[in-house]
Amino acid sequence: MLGEFEYLLITTAARLGDNAYGAAIREGIEEVAQRKCSIGALYTTIERLENKGLITTWMGEATPERGGRAKRMVRVTGKGVRAAKEFYEAMMRVSKGASWAVNQTGNLS
Amino acid sequence: MTYNAWSMVEFSARLLSRNERDAVLGDFLEASEAPWKALFGVLGLAMRRRLMLWKSWRPWFAAFGLSLPCSLLLMYVSISVICTLERLLGFHLGHWAPTGHEGFLMLLCHIFLLITWSWTSGFAASSLSPRTLCWNAAVCLLVGTRFISMHTHFDPVSPYYSLLFVGPAIWGVRQGRRMLRLPLRHAVALAATMTLLMTWAWTSNALWVFNWLLLYPAWYLVATARTVPYNPTRQVASSTR
Repeated sequence: MLGEFEYLLITTAARLGDNAYGAAIREGIEEVAQRKCSIGALYTTIERLENKGLITTWMGEATPERGGRAKRMVRVTGKGVRAAKEFYEAMMRVSKGASWAVNQTGNLS
Repeated sequence: MTYNAWSMVEFSARLLSRNERDAVLGDFLEASEAPWKALFGVLGLAMRRRLMLWKSWRPWFAAFGLSLPCSLLLMYVSISVICTLERLLGFHLGHWAPTGHEGFLMLLCHIFLLITWSWTSGFAASSLSPRTLCWNAAVCLLVGTRFISMHTHFDPVSPYYSLLFVGPAIWGVRQGRRMLRLPLRHAVALAATMTLLMTWAWTSNALWVFNWLLLYPAWYLVATARTVPYNPTRQVASSTR
């Protein structure tokens, strides 16, 4: 099963779609999770997820605002989507009956 | 970011691979990260990358099962070879003489064995874990020279003599990084020659019992030798270890 940070990364990458790359994912995680995301944690997790076959990465285009440096683009694979879905369902099941989870919908389409 | 601060970040980013360096520095520029945060970020990532290498058994085995014991033994062999040479040539700079009766022929045998032991140890360590070699070398030299100094504290030149094996070992490391595995024929020929010469030295009472340990890198190279022709693409893929 995925770890919490792995789930955050996959979900953010999936949400960003074709715009998923290092800086955007980092910003997305910090915005949603309300916590700092170090570049070290981000890139080591990206590599780990890629080794597990849950995401694929490639070097994208260079832009002027990046000083002409390329982006590391990320795409979630089918296996990654399944792993994220499993994690989400497990969290929903385990949260059922907990006071903070009342009135939350846990159904997945 | 000031020019100086950014230069420091760029310099520290050399610890990362080229693609990762591009991605990380680009991310920092895009996010207008503070220079000191970027610097700690890069150093943190580089440290994580180095630490992750040690999650596998290979670097541990290369360091403590191969490099360290072999370097200690090779340091003693180096001293022994130079002391024998000095004795045969009729001069002696140090005071510690670990050898006694060997003649020129046995000296040549020891020199050949020293070179091949060092070369095979370097090759094996490099093919086992190429990316942790610097750490291995640093630990071996630090521990080894300290150990030798403790045992030969009365002899000022022995610690320098003990580094004779370093040259062939570096040669082996370079070859190991390039080839990763020896062709089977070459590996067998090398290991068999070493075994024969060691047997001869052993029967002539000119070999320390622990020196037999130095033979296992050679047979490790036989066990991992390649039987298919050299393929540069496959070598590059396996060099990511």
